Amino acid sequence: MSDVTSPGRLIARQSARFVLRERTVALLSLMFVVLVLISAWLGWSATSTVNRIYLDAAAFLQSAGQPVPTNPVLDISPLSLMRNMSVYVALIGALSAIVIGNRLVGLDRKAGVLPLIGIRPLGRNAYAGGKIAALAGLILGLAAVVSAAAVATFLVLPAVTLTGLQWAQLAGFMGVTTLYMGFFGLIGLAAGAAARSETVGLLLPVTLWLTLTFIFPQLTANLNPTAAINPLSALAVPPDTTFFHWAARLLGPFSLADAYKFASAGLLDYLPVGITSPSFIPPVINLILAAGVALALAWRALTRLSMTQGDYNV
Amino acid sequence: MPEPMIRTNRLTQSFDGVIAVDALSMEIAKGEIFGFLGHNGAGKTTTIQMLTTLARPASGTATVAGHDIGTDPLAVRRTIGYVPENVRLYDTLTAAENLVFFARLSGVAAPERRVKQVLDLLDCTYLAQKRVGGFSKGMRQRVGLAQAILHQPAVLFLDEPTSGLDPMGIKMLRDLILRLNTEFGMTIFMNTHLISEIAKTCTSIAVLSHGKLVYHDRIEAATARYGDDAALEELYLSLTPAGRLAEVA
Repeated sequence: MSDVTSPGRLIARQSARFVLRERTVALLSLMFVVLVLISAWLGWSATSTVNRIYLDAAAFLQSAGQPVPTNPVLDISPLSLMRNMSVYVALIGALSAIVIGNRLVGLDRKAGVLPLIGIRPLGRNAYAGGKIAALAGLILGLAAVVSAAAVATFLVLPAVTLTGLQWAQLAGFMGVTTLYMGFFGLIGLAAGAAARSETVGLLLPVTLWLTLTFIFPQLTANLNPTAAINPLSALAVPPDTTFFHWAARLLGPFSLADAYKFASAGLLDYLPVGITSPSFIPPVINLILAAGVALALAWRALTRLSMTQGDYNV
Repeated sequence: MPEPMIRTNRLTQSFDGVIAVDALSMEIAKGEIFGFLGHNGAGKTTTIQMLTTLARPASGTATVAGHDIGTDPLAVRRTIGYVPENVRLYDTLTAAENLVFFARLSGVAAPERRVKQVLDLLDCTYLAQKRVGGFSKGMRQRVGLAQAILHQPAVLFLDEPTSGLDPMGIKMLRDLILRLNTEFGMTIFMNTHLISEIAKTCTSIAVLSHGKLVYHDRIEAATARYGDDAALEELYLSLTPAGRLAEVA
């Protein structure tokens, strides 16, 4: 029904515009974009340097009549150059998504305009749908920046050509990245709608993010926080003890940062042989399930948001 | 008999077991300026929240412009405008940006043009490009009124519209209410504490006490029976707890 969907689209468009005007959101998103560009540049720079040294050495060896070894750049999958991105997504990307989700509904509640929206001819579902659509648009926007940086890196890298399958893997990584940031954005949205105060609405998802990023990996795989944010050491085998065995079984399906890291490692070809995710659920399925639960929570919180008592300080 | 613009039938609301509005039944005719009086916590705002579909009643029914608030809330929302007691808007946006947003949400065609018309009507075009964050209470009240009439509603709900306004602001608002009623035929439902405003503006009044309707009549009948403003005040006080406390004292 156009009467209902049209205000929903309007809510989505306006909410996204309002949120982008927020200094905190703009700064966090900018920081994320800058870090992603830096990680792409680092990958490009390291590979270019190795390739240049190889070419010089190959020319020297050739002129000296020596056998020329294969280019080390080609010994590993070029996709693994993007591994640092998974760290920035797990850290600043997820945090940006939380803040975006929170502000999407927090702005209305802080402004105190819920009664004025509530008396307009739009259903609560249209309001909820509009907010979720705005979040989806903004997260996709961030993911598009990540994608553009990755694609640009591969297009300008010398000696590297991606196969069709590798481009598909890269697209899969972007999909998983969108799903992961989407999960945190939806949790931010849900908490922003359900919490009584603005502070709690932001603290709850940030605490969840800290728990998933740093505490669960420590419990499931004995990873200290600094190791947890290293794309390679984060894929370690847990100690073979009863505690870690049961912790991995019980907490593994909830350890989403692990799921994201393993899914990324699999898609970007840097997952060491013989190492598997602590969860018995495949990482990508795990992320899809988590995003589904977060979507349900956000929908419930938004459709139940009181238009008379929902404003902060009421 | 024409269909009343607002009709409530045993409309009831309670919060945590405390009854806020108790089986309210009344009718308000088209074109009325209805003054809803009552002490703090009497249930006036709760009544408005139910009639504007912001809150669902615990029991009872009501229709606004012929539409049932429970079964057809979207149709009700198309026919109403609402100005809350404290008008709150997006502070970082200008008045015009706020109004265009609400106009679009109300399905107004050519919202920018309509916003200009309404600001002209309310004599506040000078506010259009100013950020709402720096507005005084009176300025907010004007923009609040503007957002409520953008879509030319049949019924306008005003919750304590004069609260916090200076005498100039009160007079300006009174003139606007009368104009909206006479020029555009809007039915006005107004919660207020000010007896003097009731006498100057309203065509019918009702008094709510502890959620119960204790008086409802046309203003002529009330003034004929109780006389001038001071007598209306006596009527109000005699019907509300404040009045009973005064009697005890």
